Amino acid sequence: MSTLLEKHIVELLREGDEKAISLLYEHYGDTLYGVALKVVKDEELAQDVVQESFVKIWKKSDTYDPSKAKLFTWLFRITRNAAIDKLRSLSTKTDREIQIDVSDVYSVGVEGIQPELMDMRKHLRSIDPKYQEVLEALFFEGMTQQEASEELDIPLGTIKSRLKIGLRELKKIYAPAVLLACLILTMP
Amino acid sequence: MKEKIREFLDSDLLEQYLLGTTTELESAQVERYLAMYPEVRETYEELQDNLEAYARLHAVKPPEGLRERILQSVKRERAGRSRFMRYAVAATITALFFAGASYFFWNQNQSLQQENALVNNKIRVLEADMKSQLEDVRNQFIVLNNPQTRKFMVNGNVKARELKAIAYVNPVKKLSYINVRNLPNLPVDKDYQMWAEVNGEMVNLGVLRDFGAKDKLLALPYGEKSISYITIEPKGGNSTPTVQNIVADFSY
Repeated sequence: MSTLLEKHIVELLREGDEKAISLLYEHYGDTLYGVALKVVKDEELAQDVVQESFVKIWKKSDTYDPSKAKLFTWLFRITRNAAIDKLRSLSTKTDREIQIDVSDVYSVGVEGIQPELMDMRKHLRSIDPKYQEVLEALFFEGMTQQEASEELDIPLGTIKSRLKIGLRELKKIYAPAVLLACLILTMP
Repeated sequence: MKEKIREFLDSDLLEQYLLGTTTELESAQVERYLAMYPEVRETYEELQDNLEAYARLHAVKPPEGLRERILQSVKRERAGRSRFMRYAVAATITALFFAGASYFFWNQNQSLQQENALVNNKIRVLEADMKSQLEDVRNQFIVLNNPQTRKFMVNGNVKARELKAIAYVNPVKKLSYINVRNLPNLPVDKDYQMWAEVNGEMVNLGVLRDFGAKDKLLALPYGEKSISYITIEPKGGNSTPTVQNIVADFSY
């Protein structure tokens, strides 16, 4: 999407320039915070997760290999893992259930929804919930496929195929929006 | 081949790799497929785009303070890193210091070892010296104490009337000694030298000097029908005796 920006950020990271962190926060902060929030379901915790993730990103910047993953994929992996680790460190299952309850209240009125995403969100709803459920469980709940299979009471094979189809279905909903976003971004 | 690719894409390895949940072995396998098959690569790119889009759909604006918190902690991390650099520099200096000290001590050890070898050598020489002296003293004792020892009085001739010496010869033990009691003074450029003709051969016994110790016995090479001479020679001694300068002689 923004390969030039990606390259620039990666270069700054390599040089150990703190500007890289500012730029990363500016372009990926909301998304990564959203990912963390989805996993830990607590604002305070999500902030901790994002903070820890950025420190990790800063420290591990020399391990990033652009030929193996897009910048976002790398950032996502770090943040997701940090969030899951956070959840695990909080351990007891009851804790986790309490958090889930809290988050249900919270997620209804999220502040700062970006308007350009509203449209896509509407489209997201058009994706069969059975795919969404699997995507959410695997991407954000930090479940392994095995755990998702048990939690959702769906056979493991079905989880696998729904993950695949769900991911590919996504293309339909975001492709036009991305195109639009690109146009807006590239305009002088 | 096509089948292999389809089989791979049908598995969830690529999705797991996307999320970073593959094992090292699995990652290596996925990376091999990515490198070899463009359609796998294409699917992977698509999955990455999907993931980013999906994640962006869930983007939430974080509270104001978070950005500042993150920048602060990165700065701290950085300071930590430069502190680490300082430690590294300190460690390097310490290491160099120890290397220098090690070299210094090694050097010192080396010279001490050399000195030790020298001292040992000296001790060995001294030991050998002492042994030979002790042997000499023992022989002297044997000669002087033995009833078979014959004693000769040696007197100087016209050229040195005051010369007096006593020779001890023991034919059984084959030992002979001479004790020079008195030597007349000589000009500074002259020395007395002792000789012995043993079995027809002239042996240089050295210059007689330093007669402060009057009881010193000088060993003579033993031989049947030997003759001993004392001559006056130029200072430092001569290689052959000067016959006309013989001051004393005795046969034994």
